[in-house]
Amino acid sequence: MGQKNSGRWANFPIFGMTVFLVFCLLFESFLELPPLVGWLGHWHPLVLHFPIVLLLLVCIMGLLGKKVSTLLLTVTTLSALLTAITGFFLGSKALPKGNLLLWHQWLGAAVALLAVIWYWLRQNRLDKRPFASIIQVILIVLVGITGHYGGMVTHGEDFLALPIGNEGDKIPEDPFIYGHVVVPILENKCVSCHNPNKRKGELLMTDLDQLLIGGGTGPAIVANVPEKSLLLQRVHLPVDDEEHMPPDGKEPLTEEEIAILERWIALGASDTLRLTHLKADEPLSTLIKKQLMPQDGNEYRSFPKMADSVLLRLGTDYLTLQRISANSNALAVAVFLPPQYDPSILEGLREVALNIVSLDLSGLPLGPQEMEIVSLCRNLERLELDRTLVNDAGFKGLQGLTKLKLLKAYDTDLTDASMAVLQQMEGLQQLYVWDTQISGAALSQLKDRLPALQINTGIDPGIKESFIQGDTVSLEGTKN
Amino acid sequence: MENDKNDSKDPLKVNRRHFFSQLSVGIGSLALGSLLIPDLFKTGTPALEGQPLGIPHFAPKAKRVIYLFQSGAPSQLESFDYKPTLLKRMGEDLPESVRNGQRLTGMTAGQSKFPLMPSASQFKQYGKSGAWVSDYFPHIAKIADDICIVRSMHTEAINHDPAITFFQTGSQQSGRPSLGSWMSYGLGNENQNLPSFVVLTSRGQGNSQGLYSKLWSSGFLDSKHQGVLLRSGKDSVLYLNDPEGVSRSDKRHLLDQVAALNKMHHVETGDDEIESRIAQYEMAYRMQMSVPDVMDIKKEPESIIKLYGEDSQVPGTYAANCLQARRLAENGVRFIQLYHQGWDQHGNLPNEMAGQAKDVDKASAALVLDLKQRGMLDDTLVIWGGEFGRTNYCQGNFDPKNYGRDHHPRAFSIWMAGGGIKPGISYGETDEFGYNIVKDPVHINDFHATIMHNMGLDHEQLTYKYQGRRFRLTDVAGNVVKDILS
Repeated sequence: MGQKNSGRWANFPIFGMTVFLVFCLLFESFLELPPLVGWLGHWHPLVLHFPIVLLLLVCIMGLLGKKVSTLLLTVTTLSALLTAITGFFLGSKALPKGNLLLWHQWLGAAVALLAVIWYWLRQNRLDKRPFASIIQVILIVLVGITGHYGGMVTHGEDFLALPIGNEGDKIPEDPFIYGHVVVPILENKCVSCHNPNKRKGELLMTDLDQLLIGGGTGPAIVANVPEKSLLLQRVHLPVDDEEHMPPDGKEPLTEEEIAILERWIALGASDTLRLTHLKADEPLSTLIKKQLMPQDGNEYRSFPKMADSVLLRLGTDYLTLQRISANSNALAVAVFLPPQYDPSILEGLREVALNIVSLDLSGLPLGPQEMEIVSLCRNLERLELDRTLVNDAGFKGLQGLTKLKLLKAYDTDLTDASMAVLQQMEGLQQLYVWDTQISGAALSQLKDRLPALQINTGIDPGIKESFIQGDTVSLEGTKN
Repeated sequence: MENDKNDSKDPLKVNRRHFFSQLSVGIGSLALGSLLIPDLFKTGTPALEGQPLGIPHFAPKAKRVIYLFQSGAPSQLESFDYKPTLLKRMGEDLPESVRNGQRLTGMTAGQSKFPLMPSASQFKQYGKSGAWVSDYFPHIAKIADDICIVRSMHTEAINHDPAITFFQTGSQQSGRPSLGSWMSYGLGNENQNLPSFVVLTSRGQGNSQGLYSKLWSSGFLDSKHQGVLLRSGKDSVLYLNDPEGVSRSDKRHLLDQVAALNKMHHVETGDDEIESRIAQYEMAYRMQMSVPDVMDIKKEPESIIKLYGEDSQVPGTYAANCLQARRLAENGVRFIQLYHQGWDQHGNLPNEMAGQAKDVDKASAALVLDLKQRGMLDDTLVIWGGEFGRTNYCQGNFDPKNYGRDHHPRAFSIWMAGGGIKPGISYGETDEFGYNIVKDPVHINDFHATIMHNMGLDHEQLTYKYQGRRFRLTDVAGNVVKDILS
């Protein structure tokens, strides 16, 4: 009897809210909602969790053959309707609605209406097995999808995406300041609220034109005038200020990020500006270079693990192995000339060859045995072979060192025969080859092939000459 | 790696103070243990303090430092801080509004007037950056685009000893470890056959102030971190060769026996300095082999000798020390400290300064160029500078051809190159009188923090506990000067 009564009193609000919801959905474009209604929309995030849990609960109970009490179903249906209606109110503040929001709205409405249908079937004792089960399965699926769309609206489209490796979004050597630096900052910190689906404060931060147009309180960015740009004003407010952005609970911008935005705006907020366009003393250039630097450790995370005991065992008086920084598995190795040189001095390095990123062999009488070990160090980024006995034959073995960024080979017997190997080193940035047999023609050919490569051929002859010519320092002017 | 002395578990090493502090910790933790775990919920970066020594905290820009210390304080007004106003207002009294109560040394405090004195040397702009450099430094002018001139250094000290001690140890009172010792403590040796901190001295004709070994002392750090002074004469290290009739293996045998005895004594007393001494004997043994080779500049080609100047062949000159510094850097010495004495121009400044500049100008510039062609400038931080600046007013008789300048701590210039420092910029500004800093001041603590940063060390995390508290090179101050980082 109690169940029947509760069913009856609930009929009226359920019926009323269903009609209201359908009306809202059908005549959305003709509606002008009063501010109080907008405020009601703020309750959506609060109530939406109830129907999710309740619906899943009753559906699973139903599917398992347990009896779902009418009271529980009533509460569930009411909460679903309330959530759908408050959701509609909240959504109406973000016009025009983006795709995600529209999907969320219609799916949410479908969930609520389906719950109402189940409730109606129950009231008329029609919720027998096949019908009820179909409804329950559809409800479970719909709740999942609707919830996911809601999540995407709130937290950004890829909030559930698996973390992607850093290789995926590599920033080029000479990035666009806007496209490669500013946009990622905004995407990380701002766009989850200021996107076509949410448009908080009527502000879209997904493209530059929209930033210049701004939102309800004015343009977010005024080119050349950082102090007038609302974006920066809000960011600079004290954290406990109501207007501070990003709002309480969201991750604030770092000092560097703020500085980058500030300088970029001061320089005209252009989307064609590149790093190389900046003057040497422009602070933005330092900031961006820092931003581009790979986060220490990330880069070398895939390296084989290596215990401190290994380093202690392999190190000798003449061979120093050091981690490049604390906790890193990347190694810097330096070898110094011992009084009695033995070509097997590098043998121990075989074990850690893949961990070595920097290898300093300057001044050693290197022969084929040593060069073979060098060729095993495939992760090498820095190799110092200056003042060694390395020759073209030994140099051939370096073909596989594709990660090499810096190579010192000055004061060696290398000739043009080694150019073929150098030409394959596409990542090479700095090359020191003065005092070798390599011809100028071969070097200019290399420069054509690798335009980013800096080739050091010694001190500028003009400057060197002026130092040597102007040597008038008298020997008598010194004493101990 | 190295062990912190304070972590020793040797029961013999408990003194009265230690005993009571342990006791109070024990009782206190019974009562409050569960409440006093301040770091329990702390997230974020793990403390670097607890990490092993000998490894940088983060990937460093610079692996080593060559510090060309110009002892006596070269005048910024005749080198890198161009002040045309001093010429316009030559002879006028320094306005009190500018001096603003700055204390003076006993040498000029009695002067009734402080007449402004312009530079005797001409200034021109050099390089793409248009850096102002005086005619005394024609070669440094040629590398203007490779260096960063900081014109806004300041210190609190006004006399040589506290000022140079401040620069070297981060404190005006002596007793703290030297900058090079801190680097050795934090980063360890790169080459086990040479000390990680080496000192070379030279002296010009100008008025000199003393240099004392306390400037490169390791203070409370383990004595193996102290700077090793290489002599400026024919033998850079005395008695390097074994006496006649003593073979290398005899020497080895001797050292092993002495070490065994020392270790026994160590077990008895627990004095860590014994271990340091054993390590130093071993280092000396290895240096017997390594030093002659490293210090032999005869191996340098003639073009390099000429680049540094003919002087570089004369042992004990600044030029020879610069060339030596490059060779030491190539051989894995972390911190190479040069001192060139004779920059204290209280009188006869134009003549003396020209002479001093001639001593150092070419060799300093050659060092930077030489490091650059060897690809070493990227990971070697070169620093050139003195302990304070000099006054913009004349000390003694007012004679534009033969004047002097007193000590001035409020603003002076140094330059740095390579090792993660942005090249081709001038940083900081002084007012038109060259007296006060008006833009981007850099304190000695900031300077130290920046050097440590470029060496991969967090100046707030590299500490040593001594006499009941943790010490840092920068003690309780210092900010990394981010604007000059490349």
